[in-house]
Amino acid sequence: MLKYTIKRLLGTIPMLILISIVVFSLAKLMPGDSLSGEIDPLNTNPEYIEEMREKLGYNEPLPVQYFNWITGFVQGDFGKSTKYKTDVFDIIMEKVPNTLLLGVISLIITYILAFSMGMYSGRRPYTIGDNAIAGINYIMLAIPSFVAAVVAIYFFSFHLNWFPFGGSVDILIEKGSFEYYLSKLHHVLLPALVLGAMGTASYTQFLRNDIIENSRKDFVRTARAKGTPIRKIYNVHILRNSIIPLVTFLGFDFAALIGGAIITESIFTYPGIGMLFLDSVTSRDYPTLMALTMLLSFLTLAGNLIADLLYGVVDPRIRLD
Amino acid sequence: MKKNKSLLWLFALILVLSAFLAACGGDDSGSSSDDADKKEETETETEAEGTTEGEPQAGGTLVYGIDAPPEGLFSSAFYGIATDFEVIDLYDEPLITYNENLEPIPNVASWETEDNKVFTFTFKEGVKWHNGEELTVNDWLFALETIANKDYDGPRYTNVQTIEGAEAFRNGEADTISGIEVVSDYEIKITFDQARVNNLTNLWVYALPESVMGDVPVAEMSGSEWVRSTPIGIGPFKIENIVAGESVELSKNEDYWNGDVNLDKIVVRVIDNSSVVGALQNGDVDMLSLQPVSGPEVEPLENVEIITYPGLSYYYVGFKLGKFDNDSQTIVEENPKYQDKQLRQAMMYALNRQEWVDAFFFGYANVVNAPVPSSHWNAADNSELNTYEYDPEKAKTLLDEAGYVDQNGDGFREDPNGDEFIVKFSHYATGNPTFESRAQAITQYFEEVGLQSELEMVEVNLYYDMIEKDDPAIETFFGGWGTGADPDPSGLWKADQLWNYPRYNNPEADKLLDDALDIEVVGTDQAKRAELYIEWQKIVNEDLPMLYIAELEEIVALNNRVGGVEYDVSGQNNPAEWFVTE
Repeated sequence: MLKYTIKRLLGTIPMLILISIVVFSLAKLMPGDSLSGEIDPLNTNPEYIEEMREKLGYNEPLPVQYFNWITGFVQGDFGKSTKYKTDVFDIIMEKVPNTLLLGVISLIITYILAFSMGMYSGRRPYTIGDNAIAGINYIMLAIPSFVAAVVAIYFFSFHLNWFPFGGSVDILIEKGSFEYYLSKLHHVLLPALVLGAMGTASYTQFLRNDIIENSRKDFVRTARAKGTPIRKIYNVHILRNSIIPLVTFLGFDFAALIGGAIITESIFTYPGIGMLFLDSVTSRDYPTLMALTMLLSFLTLAGNLIADLLYGVVDPRIRLD
Repeated sequence: MKKNKSLLWLFALILVLSAFLAACGGDDSGSSSDDADKKEETETETEAEGTTEGEPQAGGTLVYGIDAPPEGLFSSAFYGIATDFEVIDLYDEPLITYNENLEPIPNVASWETEDNKVFTFTFKEGVKWHNGEELTVNDWLFALETIANKDYDGPRYTNVQTIEGAEAFRNGEADTISGIEVVSDYEIKITFDQARVNNLTNLWVYALPESVMGDVPVAEMSGSEWVRSTPIGIGPFKIENIVAGESVELSKNEDYWNGDVNLDKIVVRVIDNSSVVGALQNGDVDMLSLQPVSGPEVEPLENVEIITYPGLSYYYVGFKLGKFDNDSQTIVEENPKYQDKQLRQAMMYALNRQEWVDAFFFGYANVVNAPVPSSHWNAADNSELNTYEYDPEKAKTLLDEAGYVDQNGDGFREDPNGDEFIVKFSHYATGNPTFESRAQAITQYFEEVGLQSELEMVEVNLYYDMIEKDDPAIETFFGGWGTGADPDPSGLWKADQLWNYPRYNNPEADKLLDDALDIEVVGTDQAKRAELYIEWQKIVNEDLPMLYIAELEEIVALNNRVGGVEYDVSGQNNPAEWFVTE
């Protein structure tokens, strides 16, 4: 397994280099640059913009720019955001806790919902309940998140007054106090609910199908013949086997935890990585944009690796050599 | 079994927790949601009494909404976007401000000048920074030197470069800016490189706190805590707390130099456009600038009042009349397609601008006939201009006269040579879905008078890039400009300017603009300047290098419990005067 891990890790290096080239070229291929949004006679003049382009190195040939960026990048210097005028690393670190909180809570919500629905459906396939669950799941999957977010805000925040409609914390509460963390949790619940409830379809259906498939297997028949209670058969014997394929998703979830939710974060004005990413694209903030894309690519690769390793852990039949 | 049980437990726990949180949220924002109730009460009371403005009241918290996350550059010298400035405007003040006619008036500093070249500024004594240090002219000198420093990464150098010796200082040839002379702590003399009528309006008039920022190298200033997390100013409120990207808490400055401050706190909060109406209705936000599109939805709300005041921006449809060479700063080539003035005038008559403005700006904009917003002192009155009232018949006659007639019977006009003539119109595309329909509407007006038109939506970043580089794909284009307190349009209109996007080249018009700034010609006589500008507007109104569409109004939504807020074209009144009735 160690050998396998090392092999995989080495394999990611050329992958990351390739990704970095693609990310860089795509970023530079986007029309305009971080200064084209600043054309405004109130604030500035053409000379300033020209000077800044020179200062930021936008006038150098692309390979030189790439080389400058990647040398800094591998040394841990992500550069200075052109929009926020401060280190990209600091900005990302500032947003990570929010996004992580949102990601974890929404993942927990997804798990709870998906497990309960999946187990119910798997046990009673092709009944009305099963079909209703499948229907709900696919409708949720199909609803665009911005619609869901706006409806949720309208209903839960403005109508019922249960949750705040935006932000990540109430600024008037003293930082570090118990109320402060409670307020954070209170703010994160609604976006997490939207995110979590929207993403249940794949888990639920995977789990359901696997439970159905496993329930027809020999070991189930044996267990039944032995007189094991049906509940136990489903909740222990079948479930354990059915969770294995779900481990694949865990790898993707890992990157999604940090990647945040671009649309949902924006609508809830929840300052996390997703919102930062969107901002950096629209304002052509290359250093932030590229650092984030690299970070997310790396996390996806790492997530896949972890998922593969976990396969071996949860299912000793799979041997990684 | 056990697993299932613990799962159930977890589920139950979450349910309980969320119920608890929801309940406690009610209490917790106790202050705010109770406030909402109270608000409604006071409202009905005041309505019953038939008054909308109460007596100024001390205390209370006002929630101020902004529609985009701030970048976090909370410093007059470094900020880049309007939302950051909205925050700055609450805790800091310029030394010189503007009245409702956009004329400079003294704030902390008053000035004297005899020749518009040398200015002597006198500061009020006893004005304090939020950290207790006194504001002196050294803080202003510090701000000017920071901006003129070669490491400075903000966009304000243009407001300092006219000071004598600023260029030399920037190039490292001098240790100080020779045109600035500190006379005493409260008196400073600034000499400009030449006498201009607009030297004062162009000058940078915010101070920076030298006591705290003095040790920070200029290159690191924009990332420093004094800009990002603990900025200080001289305004009626001081920054208490910042949650990056979402909210800012400001509290009353007890030592404010200019009268008493009514409010205890202002909370600035980012509110996404999709939540604006709900937040206003629920009283979650008291004060907010609105997009025109939200106006019709907010108007019916009973607890909210909409205030409009004239803005300083205008929209236009430009023609590309030439090509600009940035190295030589000249227009090097003429595009023949739209050179015919009659064609341009016909296109102007073809536009029903009033209808268009009502449809897409919901009445929050006014049709303009020249590129100077009407609230500027040098704006020409409509009686002096051709107002190009919507007249498709006249447009058709003009086109016939100019030789644009339908020769092959396809329903569209050909150009005088008999070749196919298509008006290619470009508009920028963002996420806003109304842009395409409003652009489509313009092409329809052209088609109604027989000019075949084609619309192209271009991604906004690429769009301005293409316009600036005179890309041949851009022929006619939609654009907008904002103007500042200084109403001089030279930077956007003279033939040697990069941002003269239509590449309008009329030496006679340029001469008028030059004269209006030339102290030899106009002296300090504003009426004389206005005359020249009006003359200039008559020319561009006749020439139509762009079709002037409309100037926007600024729209603010105010909760009824807020009082003491006033607006004029120069912006909001002093936030110290704002109050809330509980």
